Amino acid sequence: MKDAGDRAGCLEAWLYNHADAARRSLWRRLHAPGQTLILVAVLGFILALPAYLWLLLENARALSADVDHEPRIALYLDDTAEETVSAAAARIDAWPGVARVVTTGSEEALATYRASLPDPALLDWLEDNPLPAIIEVLPLERSPEAVEALERQLADLLPEATIVSDHEWVRQLGALHAAGLRMLLVIGALLALGVTLILAVASAAELRERREEISIARITGATDRFLRRPSLYGGLLLGLGGGLFSLILLWVGVLLTREPVEGAAVVFGLPFAFAGPEARIGLMLIGAGLVLGWVGGRLGSAAALRD
Amino acid sequence: MIRMHRVTKRFPGGTEALSNVSLRVDTGALAFLTGPSGAGKSTLLRLIARLERPTRGRIMVNGRDLETLPRRQEPQFRRSIGLVFQDHRLLFDRPVHANVALPLEILGYRRAEARKRVRAALDKVGLLQKENAQPQTLSAGEQQRVGIARAIVHRPALLLADEPTGNLDPGLSREIMQLFLDFNRVGMTALIASHNLELISALGRPMLHLENGSLEARHVTQPRSAG
Repeated sequence: MKDAGDRAGCLEAWLYNHADAARRSLWRRLHAPGQTLILVAVLGFILALPAYLWLLLENARALSADVDHEPRIALYLDDTAEETVSAAAARIDAWPGVARVVTTGSEEALATYRASLPDPALLDWLEDNPLPAIIEVLPLERSPEAVEALERQLADLLPEATIVSDHEWVRQLGALHAAGLRMLLVIGALLALGVTLILAVASAAELRERREEISIARITGATDRFLRRPSLYGGLLLGLGGGLFSLILLWVGVLLTREPVEGAAVVFGLPFAFAGPEARIGLMLIGAGLVLGWVGGRLGSAAALRD
Repeated sequence: MIRMHRVTKRFPGGTEALSNVSLRVDTGALAFLTGPSGAGKSTLLRLIARLERPTRGRIMVNGRDLETLPRRQEPQFRRSIGLVFQDHRLLFDRPVHANVALPLEILGYRRAEARKRVRAALDKVGLLQKENAQPQTLSAGEQQRVGIARAIVHRPALLLADEPTGNLDPGLSREIMQLFLDFNRVGMTALIASHNLELISALGRPMLHLENGSLEARHVTQPRSAG
């Protein structure tokens, strides 16, 4: 057309259209405050729940890492002569994978035990010393694999010994942590799917309310892209609000949990600081909110514009 | 501008709205489409704007064959057309100027430029002083003029109007028709459906008469005076 020069340049028009759509979506959201607040709250709750569970899991892992500073393997040797025990200990000490070996003879163990009793005379009733000799082995390397290899080596050397590794529970905790993460992933995915559909239904309902406007805009030459743009921005706005709200909820959750958890840790003799969400988590929550909002707006507008 | 060749439109259920219609409206011409209610006038206009597809036949508009026009180019095509409806179809949730600005918004005009054009269009239809009014506060004639301003604000090459004076008294109807003649004078091709024979026969422009889905006069040339 002859007056094409009056129109904004292609990129400028595109940018202008986007800014305009964003402004309109914001206006619409602000003019339906009830619905907006409900959607932001739903999105916030749904984002905060898995984030909170994840934080608990991470703290549990941090706790296990704290405890895990020195894995040790204990060999309990019943009815073994003192010399055999000390010979074995000396041999183990010479292995390259071993940091230190501590030997406690059965007599020494009994003496320690006797000292701890209120009435040591009770032990005189025993005919023999029931306590085993103990060889404690501290591995040089702390990885579960290295500890396990050392355990196998020790079992080969002293098949009669009962071997107990305090590394075991760390491994169990690690496995539980992995299983917990996986469950969290599934829960998070289901919640994300659910909230996306809620946002899609809301966005479709909003477009259907604007049916007349859309029909006229279509007749005037509006593309589907133009028509769904406000829904996408609306979704992004809800996502941003939901992400920020979830961050607030998460902090409230942390503040409510921190004291009792730290108290419980002290009772178990494992003092540690319950870590709150890092900035990274905040960004992830807001990012997740934006993505879910956008996808919800896209799905909803696609459904509504097809009708 | 418009060429229809043996166009038939049959609706689901078997009603044949148009049978074997051929016509030609040259660029720069203004023609009236007449006939009783139910003769197929609206259907014919909707086919030209590609709001409907023909059952058979070929339609060319502004050099484009609507049969081969891809769906994704439909919006682009519609931007070259201005549509006026009998029931105005205004948006009552926004003031007059925002109603008129809708096509410019879609075309991506800058706000200042859009404002200027909206004012020019409203001035043309004599409603400049009502630019901030809500449509529901306007009379039927004023609402129709807002609808016309919206149809011409982006200066389309072709203006299609479906019974634009259907609900108006004779005085207002004459004013509205005069607007279309004015637009045509500056080069806009126009096809206006109306059953108000008394009014349009006085205007001395070609008339295409539809009756039971069939057409009598066929070829409308540009009036000599406008050439």
